[in-house]
Amino acid sequence: MTDLLTMLDEAGLTGRGGAAFSTATKVRAAREHRAELIVNVCDGEVGAAKDGWIVEHHLHELIEGAGLVAGDGTRRAVRYAAHRGSRTASLLAAAGLGVLEVPHRYVSSEETAVISAAHGGLARPMTKRAPFVFGGRDSQGRRIAPTVVLNAETVWRVSQVARFGPRWFRSFGTTDEPGPRLVAVGGHVPRPGVYEAAAGVALSDLLSLAGGLPPDARHVGVGGLGGVVLTASAALSTIWDTPGMKRHGGALGPGIVTVWDPYACPIDVAGELIAYGAGESAGQCGPCMFGLPALSQAWGELGRRPGVPAQERLQQRLSLLERRGACHHPDGVARFAASALGTLAAEFAAHADHRCQKERRPHAQFA
Amino acid sequence: MPSSPDARIAVDRVLCTGHGVCAQTLPGAVTLDEWGYPIIRSETVPADAASLAVKLCPARALYLR
Repeated sequence: MTDLLTMLDEAGLTGRGGAAFSTATKVRAAREHRAELIVNVCDGEVGAAKDGWIVEHHLHELIEGAGLVAGDGTRRAVRYAAHRGSRTASLLAAAGLGVLEVPHRYVSSEETAVISAAHGGLARPMTKRAPFVFGGRDSQGRRIAPTVVLNAETVWRVSQVARFGPRWFRSFGTTDEPGPRLVAVGGHVPRPGVYEAAAGVALSDLLSLAGGLPPDARHVGVGGLGGVVLTASAALSTIWDTPGMKRHGGALGPGIVTVWDPYACPIDVAGELIAYGAGESAGQCGPCMFGLPALSQAWGELGRRPGVPAQERLQQRLSLLERRGACHHPDGVARFAASALGTLAAEFAAHADHRCQKERRPHAQFA
Repeated sequence: MPSSPDARIAVDRVLCTGHGVCAQTLPGAVTLDEWGYPIIRSETVPADAASLAVKLCPARALYLR
Protein backbone atom coordinates (compact mmCIF):
# COMPACT_ATOMS: atom_id res chain seq x y z
CA MET A 1 0.00 0.00 0.00
CA THR A 2 1.22 3.47 -0.87
CA ASP A 3 2.05 5.56 2.17
CA LEU A 4 -1.07 7.16 3.64
CA LEU A 5 0.41 10.67 3.68
CA THR A 6 1.27 10.47 0.00
CA MET A 7 -2.23 9.31 -0.78
CA LEU A 8 -3.76 12.12 1.25
CA ASP A 9 -1.53 14.62 -0.53
CA GLU A 10 -2.55 13.28 -3.91
CA ALA A 11 -6.21 13.18 -2.96
CA GLY A 12 -6.12 16.78 -1.77
CA LEU A 13 -8.34 16.03 1.20
CA THR A 14 -9.03 19.05 3.39
CA GLY A 15 -10.68 19.35 6.79
CA ARG A 16 -14.44 18.96 6.60
CA GLY A 17 -15.13 20.77 9.85
CA GLY A 18 -15.14 24.10 8.06
CA ALA A 19 -11.54 25.33 8.11
CA ALA A 20 -10.58 23.33 4.98
CA PHE A 21 -6.95 22.91 6.06
CA SER A 22 -4.84 20.25 4.32
CA THR A 23 -5.40 16.94 6.08
CA ALA A 24 -2.05 15.56 4.87
CA THR A 25 -0.21 18.48 6.49
CA LYS A 26 -2.12 18.04 9.73
CA VAL A 27 -1.62 14.30 9.88
CA ARG A 28 2.07 14.68 9.05
CA ALA A 29 2.52 17.10 11.95
CA ALA A 30 0.50 14.82 14.22
CA ARG A 31 2.78 11.91 13.45
CA GLU A 32 5.95 13.95 13.90
CA HIS A 33 4.84 15.01 17.36
CA ARG A 34 3.15 11.74 18.26
CA ALA A 35 0.05 13.80 18.90
CA GLU A 36 -3.01 12.40 20.57
CA LEU A 37 -5.94 12.17 18.12
CA ILE A 38 -9.38 13.45 18.93
CA VAL A 39 -12.14 12.91 16.39
CA ASN A 40 -14.65 15.75 16.54
CA VAL A 41 -18.14 14.29 16.22
CA CYS A 42 -19.95 17.22 17.83
CA ASP A 43 -21.91 18.68 14.90
CA GLY A 44 -21.31 21.93 16.77
CA GLU A 45 -22.52 24.40 14.13
CA VAL A 46 -26.18 25.41 14.02
CA GLY A 47 -27.94 23.02 11.63
CA ALA A 48 -25.05 20.52 11.48
CA ALA A 49 -25.92 16.82 11.38
CA LYS A 50 -23.29 15.05 9.30
CA ASP A 51 -20.96 13.89 12.07
CA GLY A 52 -23.78 12.06 13.85
CA TRP A 53 -24.88 10.64 10.50
CA ILE A 54 -21.44 9.10 10.00
CA VAL A 55 -21.58 7.47 13.44
CA GLU A 56 -25.01 6.07 12.61
CA HIS A 57 -24.14 4.78 9.17
CA HIS A 58 -20.37 4.39 8.78
CA LEU A 59 -18.97 3.86 12.26
CA HIS A 60 -16.72 1.03 11.20
CA GLU A 61 -15.05 3.14 8.52
CA LEU A 62 -14.75 6.04 10.94
CA ILE A 63 -12.86 3.82 13.39
CA GLU A 64 -10.72 2.51 10.55
CA GLY A 65 -9.88 6.07 9.45
CA ALA A 66 -8.99 7.06 13.01
CA GLY A 67 -6.66 4.05 13.23
CA LEU A 68 -4.97 5.06 9.98
CA VAL A 69 -4.46 8.64 11.12
CA ALA A 70 -3.19 7.64 14.55
CA GLY A 71 -0.79 5.03 13.16
CA ASP A 72 0.91 3.27 16.03
CA GLY A 73 2.87 6.07 17.62
CA THR A 74 0.25 8.07 19.54
CA ARG A 75 0.47 8.82 23.24
CA ARG A 76 -2.94 7.49 24.07
CA ALA A 77 -5.97 5.87 22.50
CA VAL A 78 -8.13 7.85 20.08
CA ARG A 79 -11.02 9.70 21.66
CA TYR A 80 -14.27 10.88 20.08
CA ALA A 81 -15.63 14.25 21.15
CA ALA A 82 -19.43 14.44 21.30
CA HIS A 83 -21.99 16.49 23.15
CA ARG A 84 -22.83 15.17 26.59
CA GLY A 85 -25.92 12.98 26.60
CA SER A 86 -26.32 13.10 22.80
CA ARG A 87 -27.41 10.12 20.74
CA THR A 88 -24.01 10.25 19.03
CA ALA A 89 -22.23 10.00 22.40
CA SER A 90 -24.23 6.95 23.43
CA LEU A 91 -23.70 5.23 20.08
CA LEU A 92 -19.95 5.79 20.39
CA ALA A 93 -19.92 4.54 23.99
CA ALA A 94 -21.98 1.49 23.01
CA ALA A 95 -19.33 0.67 20.41
CA GLY A 96 -16.75 0.66 23.20
CA LEU A 97 -14.98 3.80 22.01
CA GLY A 98 -13.37 6.41 24.23
CA VAL A 99 -15.84 9.30 24.35
CA LEU A 100 -14.84 12.81 25.34
CA GLU A 101 -18.09 14.43 26.36
CA VAL A 102 -18.33 18.19 26.04
CA PRO A 103 -21.19 20.43 27.23
CA HIS A 104 -24.00 21.48 24.90
CA ARG A 105 -22.56 24.89 24.18
CA TYR A 106 -21.80 26.36 20.79
CA VAL A 107 -18.10 26.99 21.44
CA SER A 108 -17.50 23.68 23.30
CA SER A 109 -16.85 21.87 20.04
CA GLU A 110 -14.34 24.43 18.78
CA GLU A 111 -10.96 22.78 18.21
CA THR A 112 -9.05 24.32 21.13
CA ALA A 113 -12.06 23.93 23.46
CA VAL A 114 -12.05 20.21 22.73
CA ILE A 115 -8.31 20.08 23.38
CA SER A 116 -8.75 21.93 26.67
CA ALA A 117 -11.46 19.47 27.75
CA ALA A 118 -9.26 16.56 26.69
CA HIS A 119 -6.61 17.73 29.13
CA GLY A 120 -8.90 18.11 32.08
CA GLY A 121 -9.79 21.75 31.56
CA LEU A 122 -13.10 23.40 30.79
CA ALA A 123 -14.40 22.98 27.25
CA ARG A 124 -13.57 26.59 26.41
CA PRO A 125 -11.44 27.87 23.56
CA MET A 126 -7.78 28.53 24.29
CA THR A 127 -5.47 31.14 22.83
CA LYS A 128 -3.59 29.41 20.06
CA ARG A 129 -0.11 30.91 20.19
CA ALA A 130 1.03 27.97 18.05
CA PRO A 131 -0.90 24.92 16.80
CA PHE A 132 -1.51 22.50 19.68
CA VAL A 133 -0.33 19.63 17.51
CA PHE A 134 3.14 20.77 18.67
CA GLY A 135 2.01 20.81 22.29
CA GLY A 136 1.90 24.02 24.27
CA ARG A 137 0.29 25.75 27.21
CA ASP A 138 -3.04 27.35 27.88
CA SER A 139 -3.20 30.98 29.06
CA GLN A 140 -2.83 29.93 32.70
CA GLY A 141 0.31 27.98 31.90
CA ARG A 142 -1.22 24.52 32.05
CA ARG A 143 0.76 22.11 29.91
CA ILE A 144 -1.08 20.77 26.86
CA ALA A 145 0.42 17.65 25.29
CA PRO A 146 0.55 17.50 21.48
CA THR A 147 -3.02 16.97 20.32
CA VAL A 148 -4.69 16.99 16.96
CA VAL A 149 -8.42 17.35 16.34
CA LEU A 150 -9.94 16.12 13.10
CA ASN A 151 -13.56 16.39 12.08
CA ALA A 152 -15.43 13.07 11.85
CA GLU A 153 -16.10 13.44 8.14
CA THR A 154 -12.42 14.14 7.49
CA VAL A 155 -11.48 10.91 9.29
CA TRP A 156 -14.13 8.97 7.40
CA ARG A 157 -12.77 10.34 4.10
CA VAL A 158 -9.26 9.25 5.13
CA SER A 159 -10.48 5.67 5.28
CA GLN A 160 -12.08 6.07 1.85
CA VAL A 161 -8.92 7.54 0.33
CA ALA A 162 -6.94 4.61 1.75
CA ARG A 163 -9.46 2.11 0.45
CA PHE A 164 -10.38 3.48 -2.97
CA GLY A 165 -7.38 5.67 -3.73
CA PRO A 166 -6.77 9.35 -4.55
CA ARG A 167 -8.00 8.97 -8.13
CA TRP A 168 -11.39 7.78 -6.95
CA PHE A 169 -11.50 10.66 -4.48
CA ARG A 170 -10.63 13.19 -7.17
CA SER A 171 -13.42 11.91 -9.42
CA PHE A 172 -15.73 13.99 -7.20
CA GLY A 173 -15.78 17.75 -6.81
CA THR A 174 -13.54 20.27 -8.52
CA THR A 175 -9.77 20.30 -9.11
CA ASP A 176 -9.31 22.79 -6.29
CA GLU A 177 -11.84 21.22 -3.95
CA PRO A 178 -11.87 17.52 -4.68
CA GLY A 179 -13.78 14.72 -3.06
CA PRO A 180 -17.29 13.94 -1.93
CA ARG A 181 -18.77 16.02 0.90
CA LEU A 182 -21.66 15.58 3.24
CA VAL A 183 -24.19 18.37 3.52
CA ALA A 184 -26.99 18.71 6.04
CA VAL A 185 -29.93 20.26 4.20
CA GLY A 186 -32.60 21.42 6.59
CA GLY A 187 -35.27 23.93 7.46
CA HIS A 188 -38.14 24.61 5.07
CA VAL A 189 -37.52 21.74 2.62
CA PRO A 190 -39.65 18.64 1.95
CA ARG A 191 -37.01 16.10 3.03
CA PRO A 192 -34.45 17.48 5.46
CA GLY A 193 -31.46 15.23 5.94
CA VAL A 194 -27.79 14.53 5.35
CA TYR A 195 -26.85 14.15 1.69
CA GLU A 196 -23.66 13.45 -0.20
CA ALA A 197 -22.60 16.08 -2.71
CA ALA A 198 -19.37 17.66 -3.91
CA ALA A 199 -17.97 21.13 -4.47
CA GLY A 200 -19.03 22.59 -7.80
CA VAL A 201 -22.68 21.49 -7.76
CA ALA A 202 -25.37 24.12 -8.13
CA LEU A 203 -26.91 25.06 -4.80
CA SER A 204 -30.26 24.34 -6.45
CA ASP A 205 -29.17 20.75 -7.16
CA LEU A 206 -28.05 20.41 -3.57
CA LEU A 207 -31.48 21.58 -2.45
CA SER A 208 -33.12 19.15 -4.90
CA LEU A 209 -31.62 16.29 -2.90
CA ALA A 210 -33.88 17.40 -0.05
CA GLY A 211 -36.91 17.78 -2.30
CA GLY A 212 -36.07 21.13 -3.84
CA LEU A 213 -36.42 24.74 -2.86
CA PRO A 214 -40.14 25.34 -2.15
CA PRO A 215 -41.67 28.14 -4.27
CA ASP A 216 -42.52 30.16 -1.16
CA ALA A 217 -38.95 30.04 0.20
CA ARG A 218 -37.31 33.44 0.47
CA HIS A 219 -33.96 32.99 2.19
CA VAL A 220 -31.33 30.27 2.36
CA GLY A 221 -28.64 30.09 5.01
CA VAL A 222 -25.33 28.43 4.11
CA GLY A 223 -22.92 27.45 6.88
CA GLY A 224 -25.00 28.04 10.00
CA LEU A 225 -24.21 30.79 12.51
CA GLY A 226 -20.70 31.19 11.12
CA GLY A 227 -22.03 31.31 7.57
CA VAL A 228 -24.03 33.58 5.30
CA VAL A 229 -27.60 34.06 4.14
CA LEU A 230 -28.74 34.37 0.54
CA THR A 231 -32.02 35.37 -1.04
CA ALA A 232 -33.78 32.39 -2.61
CA SER A 233 -33.17 33.76 -6.11
CA ALA A 234 -29.46 34.26 -5.40
CA ALA A 235 -29.31 30.74 -3.99
CA LEU A 236 -30.76 29.32 -7.20
CA SER A 237 -27.97 30.86 -9.29
CA THR A 238 -25.10 30.03 -6.94
CA ILE A 239 -22.53 27.30 -7.41
CA TRP A 240 -21.62 25.56 -4.19
CA ASP A 241 -17.85 25.88 -4.18
CA THR A 242 -15.45 28.37 -2.64
CA PRO A 243 -15.46 30.85 -5.57
CA GLY A 244 -19.26 30.67 -5.77
CA MET A 245 -19.77 31.14 -2.04
CA LYS A 246 -17.06 33.79 -1.76
CA ARG A 247 -19.19 36.04 -3.93
CA HIS A 248 -21.64 36.06 -1.03
CA GLY A 249 -18.94 36.39 1.62
CA GLY A 250 -19.22 32.73 2.50
CA ALA A 251 -17.37 29.45 2.17
CA LEU A 252 -18.22 25.76 1.95
CA GLY A 253 -17.88 25.64 5.73
CA PRO A 254 -19.04 22.59 7.63
CA GLY A 255 -21.66 21.55 5.04
CA ILE A 256 -24.93 23.13 6.13
CA VAL A 257 -27.75 24.51 4.00
CA THR A 258 -30.86 25.76 5.78
CA VAL A 259 -33.96 27.14 4.08
CA TRP A 260 -35.48 29.74 6.37
CA ASP A 261 -39.11 29.65 7.41
CA PRO A 262 -40.80 32.04 4.93
CA TYR A 263 -43.56 32.83 7.43
CA ALA A 264 -41.23 34.33 10.00
CA CYS A 265 -39.75 37.80 9.67
CA PRO A 266 -36.20 37.16 8.39
CA ILE A 267 -34.89 40.13 10.39
CA ASP A 268 -36.19 38.35 13.48
CA VAL A 269 -34.78 34.99 12.39
CA ALA A 270 -31.35 36.53 11.92
CA GLY A 271 -31.75 38.46 15.17
CA GLU A 272 -32.53 35.28 17.09
CA LEU A 273 -29.42 33.62 15.69
CA ILE A 274 -27.26 36.62 16.58
CA ALA A 275 -28.75 36.70 20.09
CA TYR A 276 -28.07 32.99 20.45
CA GLY A 277 -24.47 33.58 19.32
CA ALA A 278 -24.10 36.36 21.90
CA GLY A 279 -25.37 34.05 24.63
CA GLU A 280 -22.93 31.36 23.56
CA SER A 281 -19.82 33.46 24.12
CA ALA A 282 -17.63 31.63 26.60
CA GLY A 283 -17.18 34.95 28.36
CA GLN A 284 -13.41 34.77 28.27
CA CYS A 285 -12.46 37.45 25.78
CA GLY A 286 -13.72 41.00 26.33
CA PRO A 287 -14.38 41.90 22.68
CA CYS A 288 -16.65 38.83 22.36
CA MET A 289 -18.20 38.93 25.84
CA PHE A 290 -19.24 42.59 25.42
CA GLY A 291 -19.15 42.95 21.65
CA LEU A 292 -21.63 40.21 20.73
CA PRO A 293 -24.42 41.35 23.08
CA ALA A 294 -23.83 44.89 21.79
CA LEU A 295 -24.10 43.61 18.21
CA SER A 296 -27.30 41.78 19.09
CA GLN A 297 -28.75 44.93 20.62
CA ALA A 298 -27.73 47.00 17.60
CA TRP A 299 -29.42 44.47 15.31
CA GLY A 300 -32.64 44.75 17.30
CA GLU A 301 -32.53 48.55 17.17
CA LEU A 302 -31.98 48.55 13.43
CA GLY A 303 -34.94 46.21 12.97
CA ARG A 304 -37.21 48.45 15.05
CA ARG A 305 -36.01 51.82 13.80
CA PRO A 306 -34.04 51.42 10.59
CA GLY A 307 -32.06 54.46 9.64
CA VAL A 308 -28.61 55.82 9.23
CA PRO A 309 -27.75 56.14 12.95
CA ALA A 310 -28.80 52.56 13.74
CA GLN A 311 -27.03 51.29 10.65
CA GLU A 312 -23.83 53.09 11.62
CA ARG A 313 -23.98 51.70 15.16
CA LEU A 314 -24.34 48.19 13.77
CA GLN A 315 -21.43 48.70 11.35
CA GLN A 316 -19.30 49.98 14.22
CA ARG A 317 -20.11 46.83 16.24
CA LEU A 318 -19.30 44.61 13.26
CA SER A 319 -15.93 46.25 12.74
CA LEU A 320 -14.81 45.44 16.31
CA LEU A 321 -15.33 41.68 16.25
CA GLU A 322 -12.86 40.42 13.71
CA ARG A 323 -9.78 38.60 15.00
CA ARG A 324 -10.31 39.80 18.53
CA GLY A 325 -11.08 36.53 20.29
CA ALA A 326 -9.13 33.43 21.23
CA CYS A 327 -11.37 31.54 18.81
CA HIS A 328 -13.29 32.72 15.75
CA HIS A 329 -16.72 32.73 17.31
CA PRO A 330 -17.03 36.53 17.20
CA ASP A 331 -15.71 36.55 13.62
CA GLY A 332 -18.32 33.98 12.61
CA VAL A 333 -21.26 35.84 14.15
CA ALA A 334 -20.02 39.10 12.64
CA ARG A 335 -19.74 37.48 9.21
CA PHE A 336 -23.27 36.14 9.52
CA ALA A 337 -24.68 39.49 10.70
CA ALA A 338 -22.89 41.40 7.92
CA SER A 339 -24.25 38.98 5.35
CA ALA A 340 -27.78 39.16 6.74
CA LEU A 341 -27.58 42.95 6.79
CA GLY A 342 -26.86 43.01 3.06
CA THR A 343 -29.26 40.25 2.06
CA LEU A 344 -32.18 41.65 4.08
CA ALA A 345 -31.88 45.19 2.70
CA ALA A 346 -35.42 45.02 1.29
CA GLU A 347 -36.81 43.86 4.63
CA PHE A 348 -35.05 46.64 6.51
CA ALA A 349 -36.44 49.13 3.99
CA ALA A 350 -39.94 47.77 4.64
CA HIS A 351 -39.41 48.13 8.39
CA ALA A 352 -38.25 51.70 7.84
CA ASP A 353 -41.53 52.27 6.06
CA HIS A 354 -43.35 50.97 9.17
CA ARG A 355 -44.42 47.76 7.64
CA CYS A 356 -43.06 44.30 7.67
CA GLN A 357 -43.31 41.84 4.83
CA LYS A 358 -44.41 39.29 7.42
CA GLU A 359 -47.25 41.16 9.02
CA ARG A 360 -48.76 38.05 10.49
CA ARG A 361 -46.10 38.03 13.16
CA PRO A 362 -46.27 40.57 15.94
CA HIS A 363 -42.63 41.38 16.32
CA ALA A 364 -41.60 44.83 15.33
CA GLN A 365 -42.63 47.63 17.65
CA PHE A 366 -42.64 50.79 15.66
CA ALA A 367 -42.43 54.04 17.48
CA MET B 1 16.38 58.66 13.94
CA PRO B 2 17.87 55.44 15.29
CA SER B 3 15.60 52.55 14.47
CA SER B 4 15.35 49.24 16.26
CA PRO B 5 14.28 46.07 14.44
CA ASP B 6 10.57 45.42 14.27
CA ALA B 7 8.59 42.97 16.36
CA ARG B 8 5.06 41.61 15.97
CA ILE B 9 2.73 41.99 18.90
CA ALA B 10 -0.33 39.94 19.76
CA VAL B 11 -2.84 39.84 22.60
CA ASP B 12 -3.83 36.76 24.54
CA ARG B 13 -7.52 37.62 24.59
CA VAL B 14 -8.27 35.15 27.37
CA LEU B 15 -5.79 36.85 29.70
CA CYS B 16 -6.54 40.44 28.67
CA THR B 17 -8.74 42.22 31.20
CA GLY B 18 -8.64 45.61 29.57
CA HIS B 19 -6.19 47.53 31.76
CA GLY B 20 -5.32 49.55 28.69
CA VAL B 21 -1.65 49.98 29.48
CA CYS B 22 -0.67 48.82 25.96
CA ALA B 23 -2.49 51.78 24.48
CA GLN B 24 -0.22 54.02 26.58
CA THR B 25 2.99 52.15 25.89
CA LEU B 26 2.31 51.70 22.17
CA PRO B 27 0.39 54.85 21.18
CA GLY B 28 -0.89 54.65 17.63
CA ALA B 29 -0.30 50.94 17.29
CA VAL B 30 -2.87 50.10 19.97
CA THR B 31 -6.10 51.91 20.73
CA LEU B 32 -8.92 50.87 23.05
CA ASP B 33 -12.53 50.02 22.34
CA GLU B 34 -15.33 51.44 24.48
CA TRP B 35 -14.84 48.68 27.06
CA GLY B 36 -11.13 49.28 27.26
CA TYR B 37 -9.96 46.28 25.28
CA PRO B 38 -7.11 46.80 22.84
CA ILE B 39 -7.60 47.23 19.12
CA ILE B 40 -4.36 46.39 17.35
CA ARG B 41 -3.99 49.03 14.65
CA SER B 42 -0.52 47.86 13.69
CA GLU B 43 0.91 44.46 14.59
CA THR B 44 4.40 45.54 13.67
CA VAL B 45 6.08 47.89 16.14
CA PRO B 46 9.71 48.69 17.03
CA ALA B 47 11.15 45.79 18.99
CA ASP B 48 12.31 47.79 22.02
CA ALA B 49 8.95 49.50 22.45
CA ALA B 50 7.26 46.12 22.03
CA SER B 51 9.27 44.39 24.71
CA LEU B 52 8.71 47.25 27.14
CA ALA B 53 4.97 47.08 26.47
CA VAL B 54 5.01 43.31 27.01
CA LYS B 55 6.85 43.81 30.29
CA LEU B 56 4.38 46.44 31.48
CA CYS B 57 1.17 44.58 30.60
CA PRO B 58 -0.44 43.95 34.04
CA ALA B 59 -2.38 40.92 32.79
CA ARG B 60 0.65 39.46 31.00
CA ALA B 61 -1.61 39.25 27.98
CA LEU B 62 0.54 41.11 25.47
CA TYR B 63 3.13 38.93 23.80
CA LEU B 64 5.51 38.84 20.84
CA ARG B 65 4.81 36.54 17.95
